[in-house]
Amino acid sequence: MFFQALKKFFIKFYTLIPFFLFFLIFFYLLFSSLDFLKGRSLTELIFSSQWKPLKGDFGFFPFWFSSFYVTALSALIFIPVGLLISVYISEYANRRIKDILKPFFDVLSAIPSVVFGLWGFTVIVPFVSRMGNFLGISTSGYSILSASIVLSLMVLPFMITLCISIFEMVPFSLKESVLSLGATRFEMVEKVLIPQCKKGIIASIFLSLGRAIGETMAVMMVVGCTFKVPKTPFDPAYPIPALIANEFGEMMSISSYKGALLFSAFLLNLIVLIFHFIFRKAFLRNS
Amino acid sequence: MERIKREKLFVLLMKLSLAIFLLLTFSLFTSIFFKGISFLSFEMVFSKPSRGFYMGGGGGIFPSIIGSLVLASSSTAIAFLLSLPLSIFISLYSRSTFSNFVRNFVDLLWGIPSIVYGIFGFFIMIYLGLKASLLAGIITLSFVVFPLILRSLDELFQNVPFSLKEASLSLGLSKFQMAVKVFLKAIAPGMLSAILISFGRAIGDSASILFTAGFSDNFPISLFSPTSSLPLVVFYLYSSPDEEVSGRAYAASLILIAIAVFISIISRRIGKRIYGK
Amino acid sequence: MVNEHIEIRNFSVCYGKECALKNVSLKIPNNAITVILGPSGCGKSTLLKSLNRLIDEVEDVRVEGEIIVDGKNIYDKDVKLPELRKKMGLLLQKPQVLPFSIYKNVIFGPKLNGIKDKKKLREMAQKYLTMAHLWEEVKDRIYEPAHKLSIGQQQRLCLARGLAVEPEILLCDEPTSALDPLSSKKVEETLLELKKDYTIILVTHILRQAKRLGDFIAFFYLGELVEFAPAKEFFENPKDERTRAYIKGEIS
Repeated sequence: MFFQALKKFFIKFYTLIPFFLFFLIFFYLLFSSLDFLKGRSLTELIFSSQWKPLKGDFGFFPFWFSSFYVTALSALIFIPVGLLISVYISEYANRRIKDILKPFFDVLSAIPSVVFGLWGFTVIVPFVSRMGNFLGISTSGYSILSASIVLSLMVLPFMITLCISIFEMVPFSLKESVLSLGATRFEMVEKVLIPQCKKGIIASIFLSLGRAIGETMAVMMVVGCTFKVPKTPFDPAYPIPALIANEFGEMMSISSYKGALLFSAFLLNLIVLIFHFIFRKAFLRNS
Repeated sequence: MERIKREKLFVLLMKLSLAIFLLLTFSLFTSIFFKGISFLSFEMVFSKPSRGFYMGGGGGIFPSIIGSLVLASSSTAIAFLLSLPLSIFISLYSRSTFSNFVRNFVDLLWGIPSIVYGIFGFFIMIYLGLKASLLAGIITLSFVVFPLILRSLDELFQNVPFSLKEASLSLGLSKFQMAVKVFLKAIAPGMLSAILISFGRAIGDSASILFTAGFSDNFPISLFSPTSSLPLVVFYLYSSPDEEVSGRAYAASLILIAIAVFISIISRRIGKRIYGK
Repeated sequence: MVNEHIEIRNFSVCYGKECALKNVSLKIPNNAITVILGPSGCGKSTLLKSLNRLIDEVEDVRVEGEIIVDGKNIYDKDVKLPELRKKMGLLLQKPQVLPFSIYKNVIFGPKLNGIKDKKKLREMAQKYLTMAHLWEEVKDRIYEPAHKLSIGQQQRLCLARGLAVEPEILLCDEPTSALDPLSSKKVEETLLELKKDYTIILVTHILRQAKRLGDFIAFFYLGELVEFAPAKEFFENPKDERTRAYIKGEIS
């Protein structure tokens, strides 16, 4: 009897490991940032762009603004491009093209982010620099635009694979009946397929956004990392993950600096969790 | 006619998007291949960095390759051993509300960026009284891989047909026997590909081990000393003004790409075998 | 037989080495119900999908021969598929309502064709729902999601939706097989009413339904057209051995 109960308890406890782990991470970040937040004004932390750790000035504006800027610009690229490619592959391409492309996406999503960063450094940064010069903007090429392009290519295979699997869940006979009403194929996609899959598409967009905003290495290698508030896409920026990666190891001796970085990690985690929350809501209602 | 034109316009846009996407990936592979291949010599792959390695002296990245293999395989093994019983409990023992509750948190863990795991791993490392070392790197990477592998195992269990469950229970097997004898056999190939994919993720992840695994020129002999790894070789060497040195970043990247290609080919083979039957 | 605007000439459809239809030639009479009868797997549905070229959606399919509709081969290169399909309403085995309201389902086709006037659209919705014998049941809730209707009602909604495109031909692929007897009866009655204005092609494997509805019967077996005759002649005096066997229930 006793052992039975013990076994049950153990199993329950063990099964709850993901729950404990999540809360351990969440509360570790929360409490470390609470320490840091004591005696500081939150509005100033968020809206000031003064960043002088040695004096104790921590204005996070440049960092979260950079993060959103880079993510939003890459979303402007990967959402339309991803949707167009997924529709093409699931509704227009023949089986031969599908059979070639699908493994290709698998390989691409298995490639480490430093490799994407290296590619951005080798190809995209010089390209953006030349483009800037052509347009009469002086830029080193290390910029928000470069980071967005690299991020888009990283996120696209993920997003396309998700969208295709969602489109394929729509019964073939529904597509047939829309076509039989005299719709062109694109009208079928636009008026029925996309509305039908709306929630799944939103879910995959937010999952991709979560990946994009948390991506560290690839972005860091091409974004320039300067402490200025970026204006145009050709300006360098300093997103939160890059800030953490660059500064966390070195500034451990100044405890308020460590606190500041933990606070930024908390913010980053919170943003990603909000994206995930939206994803879950959208997805659960879909199915 | 208006409608047909619209159709054609959008098909054109689709083809254009696909073309740009393929062009960019093509440039990814070729740029790294051509820069890396000239540095990818026998010496590069199979020797230690010699003195003056970072100034363009000789030697190779063998310790990083070994370091990465050790980091990735141990963390994948730990994560797998932790998540296998967990996935069995989730899918076989618990009532569905409870399992879905746990699944929520697996998904949330899965979404946490690897840089945050890096910070958390650093905290655990300090807590355990460790320094940046192979062990700390393995622990941190295990956190990264854990939700990944747990999620795919859970999916595999959920895809086991219900009829198999009924059949094995009607044979008089206990739930535990069913789990071990029937289910594990049924999902074995899928499990192998889940392990491979997690291994691939672990070997390429760099943000998480940035603060925990350290950096070294030596082979990972001790759990408590820093280790070298392929992604960090790329990260620390790529921007060197010396072309001899930055070339090593390309060589290391090429090895990482080769691993990624190899893993996806193998796991696709395994996948085909499952669906082929 | 007065005139025919559908004529099938030496028509074959093959998937790889397997042929679902073998060299079929058939003239389909106007303003009548032509029943395509035969056991499952005899190529009935393939024939139906060939008529509005939904067969193009299937991968690795090979089509030979001609189908002439209104004097033009629909497999010619310059045929515009949306226009071809507009001529033919399609009713599937299982009703597939669009993920919108009842009203939006009916006016989906007219809207594609550029009708924007709200009042006209509403009139059309009422007209076609009435034709499909659904109006009385749903007139108070046409803005509710269509999937809330019963399966039988959904099938009639699909019929109304098809009619709203103003086709000349109705293609019905075992439209009653998923329905309860009462709904089936309603759909059958509707089809009988519609035949004075439309050319109807009905695929079925139910002998009694063929007897009840058919003006002409085309009997298919293993991809071949075995016999084509007016219904009365077909049932009372079948010419082919296989037809006789099928009518007696010896092959199914």
